[in-house]
Amino acid sequence: MSRRGSPARLVVALSVAAALAVFLLYTSIAGGGTPTIRPSQLPGHSGRVSLMGVVVGKPAGDAHASGLRFRLRDVKGTALVPVVYTGTVPDLFRTGRDVVVDGRMRNGVFVAVPNTLVTKCPSKYSPKRA
Amino acid sequence: MADLGRAALVTSFLLLVYALVAGSLAAWKGRRRLAESAQNALIGSFGATVVASAVLLAALARHDFSFQYVADHTSRELPLGYTLTAFWGGQEGSLLLWLLVLSGYSVAAVLTARRAGREVLAWVVPTLGLVGTFFAVLLVFVASPFATQAAVADGAGLNPSLQNPYMAIHPPMLYLGYVGLTVPFAFAMGALLARRTDERWIVATRRWTLAAWAFLGLGQLLGAHWAYVEIGWGGYYAWDPVENAALMPWLAATAFLHSVMIQEKRGMLKVWNVLLVVLAFCLSLFGTFLTRSGIIQSIHSFTQSSIGPWFLGFICLITAGSLGLVFARLPLLRSKTRLESLVSREATFLYNNLLLVALALTILWGVIYPILSEAVTGEAASVSKPYYNFFLHTFGLPLLLLMGIGPLVAWRRASLRALGRTFLWPLGAAVGTGIGLLAAGAGSSRIGVIAYTFSVFVLASIVLEFVRGTSARKALGGVGWPAAFSSLVARNRRRYGGYVVHAAVVLLAIGVAGSSAYQTVREARLQPGGSMTVAGDRLVFRGFQTRTEGNHRAIRALVDVYRGGHYLGRYRPGKNQYFAEDQVSNEVAIRHDLLTGGDLFLIADQVNSNGSIDLKALQKPLVNLIWLAGLVFLGGSLIALWPDAREERRLAERYADAAVRI
Repeated sequence: MSRRGSPARLVVALSVAAALAVFLLYTSIAGGGTPTIRPSQLPGHSGRVSLMGVVVGKPAGDAHASGLRFRLRDVKGTALVPVVYTGTVPDLFRTGRDVVVDGRMRNGVFVAVPNTLVTKCPSKYSPKRA
Repeated sequence: MADLGRAALVTSFLLLVYALVAGSLAAWKGRRRLAESAQNALIGSFGATVVASAVLLAALARHDFSFQYVADHTSRELPLGYTLTAFWGGQEGSLLLWLLVLSGYSVAAVLTARRAGREVLAWVVPTLGLVGTFFAVLLVFVASPFATQAAVADGAGLNPSLQNPYMAIHPPMLYLGYVGLTVPFAFAMGALLARRTDERWIVATRRWTLAAWAFLGLGQLLGAHWAYVEIGWGGYYAWDPVENAALMPWLAATAFLHSVMIQEKRGMLKVWNVLLVVLAFCLSLFGTFLTRSGIIQSIHSFTQSSIGPWFLGFICLITAGSLGLVFARLPLLRSKTRLESLVSREATFLYNNLLLVALALTILWGVIYPILSEAVTGEAASVSKPYYNFFLHTFGLPLLLLMGIGPLVAWRRASLRALGRTFLWPLGAAVGTGIGLLAAGAGSSRIGVIAYTFSVFVLASIVLEFVRGTSARKALGGVGWPAAFSSLVARNRRRYGGYVVHAAVVLLAIGVAGSSAYQTVREARLQPGGSMTVAGDRLVFRGFQTRTEGNHRAIRALVDVYRGGHYLGRYRPGKNQYFAEDQVSNEVAIRHDLLTGGDLFLIADQVNSNGSIDLKALQKPLVNLIWLAGLVFLGGSLIALWPDAREERRLAERYADAAVRI
């Protein structure tokens, strides 16, 4: 009968903490997150990744048919990769925007998972000053 | 004008520094007059911040484009309402709103919470001064809303997503919530610094904590509704880092609201309560940091800015300082009593606390996972929806169940036999519902069936509590049912307000389960005259309509909806093209079905040049219960918050005694 509190409380706390630790380990190692990479890092990744880059050139094609085609460049760099995407195109998508899209490389083209295209906020939120 | 704003901010900054320095000195040395002067400085800083805010509002209203902030966030064509709400549309303005709300709260709390005791209050003032000083430093030295430039002809306009009526209410609500958590934090720190670790600081700040928590909860629901009607993907919550940033402190505050009752009733969990307050406040700072720093990509984040390191430093300072203080005061925080049984009201509160905190921490883990993984492996990896949904189910469903069990279990120690009797009806109702749902074919989603069964259990136990309480009061007073009911609620506002909030959470759970587990999605490319079906409704596309209004051009698809041959009406999903902002925004069309609580949600996904449309249609059952939950939540919070003269007298007597004894 120590003054530190009842054993029951300790048991509950420890068991929940242990369960939590197991869940976290499980999801962070086995379940895993999707790595977010730049176009220049694509070689060496065969699985599903989130690709982050700047849209370069005029996007062409139909996102609801054969796919929207555009190229992504490193935000700070020159590496380029062609992307083909189907699904909903966000309102803010256009040339020069930073975007993130999930997918994997197939025959030199980054084939996107449908409906995973996300645009980062436009600079209009807080314009850059010279 | 800008000079006046700058001067007001500098004044506010100096007064806050004075409140911090002089207040600390006064509390440390026990100087009463100096403490009063520090308190007056705190009040003065509120006045100065009001002046600064008025200057910014006036500049917005006058389209004074010599203010960089005004030029960057508004344009001449922007309607007046959105021009004024642009106050918090950008970083500098929203920091000013933080300071305004904080100094307002500080004044109100310091003036009304005298019950905490003079010694505690003496330390509360410098604590509030410290937090205020931080924001004043940012506003004066790092991100001034009063930066000027050569006036331009027209401004850059406001982001179209922010041009929505919710812009007027969602951000201020969230700020009232985030910032409001400073009050219990400051009083907790004040109590520790003054070595007054009884429950007085909790009682004194009870309403402030409750108010902040209610604002934070409502703010999130409003944000969810905004996302639902405006962003146009058919959802209301996407586990976006910034959404999570508001959810985490709310979960911690929810845990705190429950566990303080154990401290008040049984004198237990003192350390835990202080830690929860620290956690809630740090998470609210972290939330502001996430929104403002651009460290994690999110639809809400402003672009990279210079204030990130400042925030990180301040969060570290607050965390380290408050944990150090808790550690130093550990001997004073010993519990007077112990948990007697694992089957008792206290125990259910404890389980509820562990689950809430576990949920908050797993969400936190998910939010910072990209940063951690980048630090460890050099590549940022992010967790996605399945991660969050998994933990929402793992911790959320037991929480839901506990909401039904808790109110029916006695304090201290409950006998299993008594429990069996009490649980008979709710359990029967829940099992009956589960079987009924399976028979009706709802088994397509196991989680959905579990959530509904638990929901019915909770609702039944809440109804049972109200019925039992009312009939007891009726027997006692010999009055009718309505009189007995209102007197029951009036005499135990916090308890029955709490039950109403529980009912709101159940509605939320039913709405979320219905609209996510049982939704139907259909997409098709339609030529004019073409049709598609979604969950029994036939949609016929009739062509486009275009018109120009004010600051944008509106393209609308005309979609006629039929159900079983009956014409239900014409709906107009489309897109708006904003001229000044040079942006497009999706405008969805929603058909509410008031009878079933479901929505037909139409999105003009792509407008094609040949006159065809890519139409996306979602049938979302029971989704309107989520918004109804918001109203019920508001009602429950108001019941719990409403001033109670009888309780005030009781507390006054109790603490008058305590004061004499000390």
